[in-house]
Amino acid sequence: MEKKEKYLKEVEAPFTAITAMEEATRCLLCHDAPCSKGCPAGTDPGKFIRSIRFRNFKGAAETIRENNILGGVCARVCPYDKTCEEACSRTGIDKPIEIGRLQRFATDFEKATGFKVLDPVEATKEKVAIVGAGPAGLAVAAKLALKGYAVTIFEEKPEAGGVLTYGIVPSRLPQEVVNDEVQYIKDLGVNFVFNCKVGKDVTVDELKEQGFQAFFLGIGMQLPKVLDIPGSDLEGVTNAVEFLGTAKPSKGEVQVGQHVIVIGGGDVAMDSATTAKELGNRVTVLYRRSMLEMPANRKELKHVQDIGVHFIPEFNMIEILGENGKVCAVKGLGRDGESTIELKADMVIFSIGQEAEAVTEIADIAINDKKLVVVDENTCKTNVDGFFAAGDIVNGGKTVVEAVAAGKAAAEGIDQYLTALREMKATGAEVAVEKEGVK
Amino acid sequence: MARRKDLSIEFCGVKCENPFFLSSSPVGSNYDMCKKAFDEGWGGIVYKTVGYWIPNECSPRFDATRKEGAPFIGFKNMEMISDKPTEKNLEMMYQLKKNYPDKVLVASIMGENEEEWKKLSKAVTETGADIIECNFSCPQMTTSSMGSDVGTNMELVERYSKAVSSMTHLPVLAKMTPNITLMEVAARAAIKGGATGIAAINTIKSITEIDLENFTALPIVNGKSSISGYSGKAVKPIALRFIAQMANDPALKGIPISGIGGIETWQDALEFMLLGSKNIQVTTAIMQYGYRIVEDMISGLSYWMEEKGINSLDEIIGKALPNIIPADEIDRDFKVYPKYDHDKCVGCGRCYVSCYDGGHQAIKWDEDNRKPVLDEEKCVGCGLCWIVCPIENCVTPGERKFHSFGTPRDINVIAKKAL
Repeated sequence: MEKKEKYLKEVEAPFTAITAMEEATRCLLCHDAPCSKGCPAGTDPGKFIRSIRFRNFKGAAETIRENNILGGVCARVCPYDKTCEEACSRTGIDKPIEIGRLQRFATDFEKATGFKVLDPVEATKEKVAIVGAGPAGLAVAAKLALKGYAVTIFEEKPEAGGVLTYGIVPSRLPQEVVNDEVQYIKDLGVNFVFNCKVGKDVTVDELKEQGFQAFFLGIGMQLPKVLDIPGSDLEGVTNAVEFLGTAKPSKGEVQVGQHVIVIGGGDVAMDSATTAKELGNRVTVLYRRSMLEMPANRKELKHVQDIGVHFIPEFNMIEILGENGKVCAVKGLGRDGESTIELKADMVIFSIGQEAEAVTEIADIAINDKKLVVVDENTCKTNVDGFFAAGDIVNGGKTVVEAVAAGKAAAEGIDQYLTALREMKATGAEVAVEKEGVK
Repeated sequence: MARRKDLSIEFCGVKCENPFFLSSSPVGSNYDMCKKAFDEGWGGIVYKTVGYWIPNECSPRFDATRKEGAPFIGFKNMEMISDKPTEKNLEMMYQLKKNYPDKVLVASIMGENEEEWKKLSKAVTETGADIIECNFSCPQMTTSSMGSDVGTNMELVERYSKAVSSMTHLPVLAKMTPNITLMEVAARAAIKGGATGIAAINTIKSITEIDLENFTALPIVNGKSSISGYSGKAVKPIALRFIAQMANDPALKGIPISGIGGIETWQDALEFMLLGSKNIQVTTAIMQYGYRIVEDMISGLSYWMEEKGINSLDEIIGKALPNIIPADEIDRDFKVYPKYDHDKCVGCGRCYVSCYDGGHQAIKWDEDNRKPVLDEEKCVGCGLCWIVCPIENCVTPGERKFHSFGTPRDINVIAKKAL
């Protein structure tokens, strides 16, 4: 297979109707379905697996979709081993049910049959502005649109999806899956404005003038963290945000070295390593702690190992060496403080996390020392009236499913806020009418 | 070296190297197929039914009942008897017997009238076949003078059995249709007519499923379908019931029975033998998996005999029959409580759900520990919980308690069947 083809092709094989039912038949159909309590976003696998077991594939898709507008995306990127599958009772017999793959079967079925669970609701309520078209923003937008709000998403990039479009490697999450679910949200009546950075291209005041009455900030973490070590400004040193953000939208048109060093041990590092390996040649992941301490999803970690990426754990990179201004090697110091290592390199990708951009450019939002937005946990309300926030910008960079979960909570918060406002106005109007009458 | 027991058994006076036979069907339609089956270890073959009447078969002609997530468990077919010229079939049978003198060849025949039955009897005897099987039971013949319409008519069964027996020195089997209330009655008629033994069951008249697009049954033949014969594992319980009833019938005492119906494993085969079958016949499992399944039947049965210290199959034929008794003779003096092994339990709660929704609400659910707790007051000892439990030996039959009207004494409760 051509390199690019490999990079673009989804790795995991889908279930067929028969194999999906086989897997669903393994399910013990627990009375209390611990899997259903294991999902941060509140998906009910106990119910949708039962639907598959009893041949009701549309019913399965309905259970997923009504709860999670990004059901197809989550089916592919969720850390199942730490959520629903970890809770699975079947583990007590052999191994958990492949809940993620079953969810993918149901959402794929939904697409293949052109079946749509959610119908658009006429937008009769207030205008809401969503800043950022990442998972949290998309989840809020869909939920509010279904409640009858007029929702517009403002996105600084030319495409929707955030990390789904500009980060996660297509062999794990094909772009069509993201596009399909974005289209779903568009079909629900959500309006998208691209290439528009709120705070720069348009101000909050201008948006207020246009009638927007509530704002949701889902701007994520955009700024790559870079180690301040000698050589980090050499040519060939890049970061995951830039590297993945170029690779995925261009379908693999990105410069990749022959000796790539990826620094980090999280999911983003795995995506960087996969991308570099599938499009390049020799890839080594350098990680400061042990393999066991690596935060990356285990399944993803195994995949990265399976495609031939090398891992050197317990080494901290201390210097990048250059030749004629270009990277030629990296130096590492062991966790023991004594061992040293020098690896040939022509490209270094920092994948050690991201930081929040200054949200204060949008509004006077209270942030903590990590530059994360401080919100009320239940309603996602910020300190500024009418402003809500969720996702990475609040939790510091967690999973897609957690962003979806938070987005759903924020939508409830916004709905409560606007409903209260509406009722207050109505009461105010009544009072005014009464007063008029008295006059 | 694999250990093999001597599985030979005498059936209707014919020595068989093992009790595993192909039943009369597509799996034994010509020389090459039968050769392969013999080579792979089958002890005998009932060659596909031969007649002078040549059918015109439809396409497609099969359907299957799927259980979600499992290989098919029931099979429907619309085929009739052999569609090859009679002479050709007779020639192939002759060749088979010539090349495999130690294997058993059973010639299945079906006539349209007494004259044909006689002619066929004579003709197949001349091929060197060891046994004749009269097909009184195919449920999907396109003529009512043949097949299960004959098998449900006692007068015809007797008359045709007589016709066949009169023209041969070979043992004659009458193959019974299950599309009848009491098979013993038809079997008695066959024996009265001169048949040596009984083969049962043929397929059960069925509609396997309805196509939701075309509102017709499957298989769909140009928009239509017919009721036709059902076989496979799903019919085994029905077959066993007929076998037991015939074997326990005083008028049929000692009559050799060839057991047929949903046999896939050595264990299935053994069940038929324990109910009195001296040999067994298989088709559906072969259509699904091929002749090779006989290897595990031979090996599995050998190991079982070794474990039990049994040297000849004759020792076990019909051994379960005394334990099949009428419902009014069942001991109803006690109940058996389930025993829960909480270490094995994974907390799925299936026993709780089934007991509540399909039993007597006798299990309380300990939500914090995710474990079932028995309420002995409410438990009637039905055993639903240990049947639905997905874990091996987690919920098992436990303590027995005599009712106030029962006299305490030793009782024998066999645990839930393993696997």
